[in-house]
Amino acid sequence: MPDVKMPDVPAGGTPGATGGDGMGGKSFGSFGGSGRERARRRGQGQLESQVLAALHHAPGPATAAWVQDRLGGDLAYTTVMTILSRLHAKQAVTRERSGRAYVWTPAADEAGLAALRMRRVLDGEPDRDAVLTSFVSALSRHDEQLLRTLLDRDAADTNGPADASGPADAPTPADGPAPAPGRHHRPDEAHGA
Amino acid sequence: MGVFVFLPLVLPLTALPIARLAEQHLHPRATTRLLTLLAAVLGLCSTLCLGLLVVVGTAQLRGNPLPDGWSDPEVRAAVPFAEVAGVAAIPLLAAALTVCGTALRRHRRIRARTHRALDGLPAGADPAVLPDDEPYAYAVPATPARPGRPARPGRVAVSRGMLRSLDDDERRALFAHERAHLRCRHHRALLAVRLAGCVNPLLLPLRSAVAFAAERWADEEAAQVVGDRRLTARAVGKAALVTRRAAPGLAHFAAPEPGPVPRRVAALLGPVPPARHWPPTLTPAGLAALVAAAGTAASALSALNAAVALFVVLKAATPL
Repeated sequence: MPDVKMPDVPAGGTPGATGGDGMGGKSFGSFGGSGRERARRRGQGQLESQVLAALHHAPGPATAAWVQDRLGGDLAYTTVMTILSRLHAKQAVTRERSGRAYVWTPAADEAGLAALRMRRVLDGEPDRDAVLTSFVSALSRHDEQLLRTLLDRDAADTNGPADASGPADAPTPADGPAPAPGRHHRPDEAHGA
Repeated sequence: MGVFVFLPLVLPLTALPIARLAEQHLHPRATTRLLTLLAAVLGLCSTLCLGLLVVVGTAQLRGNPLPDGWSDPEVRAAVPFAEVAGVAAIPLLAAALTVCGTALRRHRRIRARTHRALDGLPAGADPAVLPDDEPYAYAVPATPARPGRPARPGRVAVSRGMLRSLDDDERRALFAHERAHLRCRHHRALLAVRLAGCVNPLLLPLRSAVAFAAERWADEEAAQVVGDRRLTARAVGKAALVTRRAAPGLAHFAAPEPGPVPRRVAALLGPVPPARHWPPTLTPAGLAALVAAAGTAASALSALNAAVALFVVLKAATPL
């Protein structure tokens, strides 16, 4: 990662006090770009997992140098710092000052990191439904009432005791204004065509 | 080729009645397949004819790279309103292809980003359970192998928040639903109708119809796996009730037509859908299916006719 400048980190490897919060965000927003750029980002996704896994194996809060040692020699110190601050921006790790260096503690495990990444995809791609088929789509207020009516009616049909989970899904009062009663018995009619 | 070159641009209209009626009269599997096929053929023919018009239009432009003979009066005479239609077709085709390319790239990007997000979890973990309190569940389609990148199998990604809100049986229904999406490759149908809607906006209603039919199809598959339609209906309903509510928008002022989730639950609580592939002829749905089939056949024949006619005319006009 020759393109990341960290002027405040001495070459000896003591992390500077201002360990690059800003640079973590630098490469966040830009998507698209060349194939090499994409390959690099994918590599960083895997590196994030590795760094997080290394922190989990640490006996306590660890320094970036410790993480670098743990991951083997082929990673530059600045790369480790970049990834740690990126993880920090995602709230997957916490850090505190210890002398002149930061020590890092994992806040999320690998699954947690995956969840954070997944949330970024879901929040960042409003038009994802054609690719990722969701189990359910969001309800409008009207749909919600309609749905509760349907489920309540089903629960009533099964007569309570026969259906243990029936009452659990009807936490709301069933006596709300039933929308268009009697219209939704059959799928043919529910369409309202 | 005459007026035939314009027909495929408007013949998608013939598919709209069946897009509206199929939901109630056909099995969702048949609906998905039929509407996807209609959309694909109609979209292709429409694009082909737009391309033919672009050839005629481009030949009229000054400094175009096409042979000079292609702008001859004989060529223009083959297309009614050649001047206007030809020139108008150029931006239309460019827009259609741009939107298509954008949709395709977005499809790939979302798929790749999701796989990357799930990379941290063990590869065998299916379903991939994500420690997130926000309830969601998605089927992530497989990625084919590319040079330098191995293929990735399709996965089911579900959040802990979603699992927490369902009991064991309902979870089985949820997983069966998502696996049905992957097994039946619904994302391909969804992508096909999306691209069709991009090349001809008249095909847009087929997009929502296929999206709904695919969900219904997966519901029916799930009901078969767990052996209980009402259980599946309950799983869908409970999952929808814990999911974040849609942002209130203009939809509130529209006619309160039931959204997809209540319709799915109502269909699951109702009778099993008929297994037939084609609606009975003498019903509105049967007639609508016939109209759509005739329209699609006419569109294919018109496109073929126009392509052959233009080829012959251009060949005659090309100086050898």
